[in-house]
Amino acid sequence: MATVASGALVSLEELVPSSPYFKHGVSLRVTGKLQEYNVGTAVAVIVDKNASLEIDTRHLNLNLRVGSIFQFIGELHLEPDHEAILKARVGRNVDGMDLNLYRQSLQLLRDFQAGQLNS
Amino acid sequence: MDAHQLLNTHVKLLAFDFLTLKPIPYDSASFSRKGTRLSRAETVGVIVSRDFKPNRFLKFDIDDGTGCISCVLWLNQESSRHFSRRSPSHVRLISQMAADFASQVQIGVLARVRGRITSFRGNLQITVSDVVIERDPNSQILHWLDCLRLGRNCYDKVAVPPKA
Repeated sequence: MATVASGALVSLEELVPSSPYFKHGVSLRVTGKLQEYNVGTAVAVIVDKNASLEIDTRHLNLNLRVGSIFQFIGELHLEPDHEAILKARVGRNVDGMDLNLYRQSLQLLRDFQAGQLNS
Repeated sequence: MDAHQLLNTHVKLLAFDFLTLKPIPYDSASFSRKGTRLSRAETVGVIVSRDFKPNRFLKFDIDDGTGCISCVLWLNQESSRHFSRRSPSHVRLISQMAADFASQVQIGVLARVRGRITSFRGNLQITVSDVVIERDPNSQILHWLDCLRLGRNCYDKVAVPPKA
């Protein structure tokens, strides 16, 4: 069994074109509130603060309820004339997650990781 | 803390840290983290792959956001010679427990996994002894914070400096 790429932890606000994570094929883990879901295309939109991201959920067997918080792991696809879309291979409902604690912990985690790799 | 106290402890390691463990020559049962010997680990993450071979094993990958750790859960207790000297009722109990863990490990669930640190074809993995499915979505965050606190205040403190 080939090793699966880990989804890098990233907040939606960080996903801007200048970000190192904003590349075609990069594996990401994103979290946000489900704003809309198109049953026909299986494309969902999640939002966090002022940022949003389209998620292709066609490979998931998940009960997608608008207003709930979801976390997705997958690969970012950047196609010409189209917004960035995450092709999700894993998804889960994370209602009850403390999103402020989550954002703060991401920064602590990055600082720790950088410190360990440099030591 | 004495470095030996960590040898049989399930150390909580983030995947990026786990994947830097080094094998120790002439000791296949333990691995080195900055000079400290470890043999058991605990991780919490999302199950992202699953390869099930009935009555043989379940292999799966667990992603904690810093990396993916490969895990193997053995399901061959009733046919393995390794268990032939144990009482059949005991072996059956272990086998049923492993089968129960295997049924819970599904893609997308958040799981806490404990087990022995092992190596297969040069790749580090966890040979699973326990699986707990976490229902609280904050469990992942709390595990990260546990790993940070233990890394800084415990595991790094007992690290043995390399010989000059």
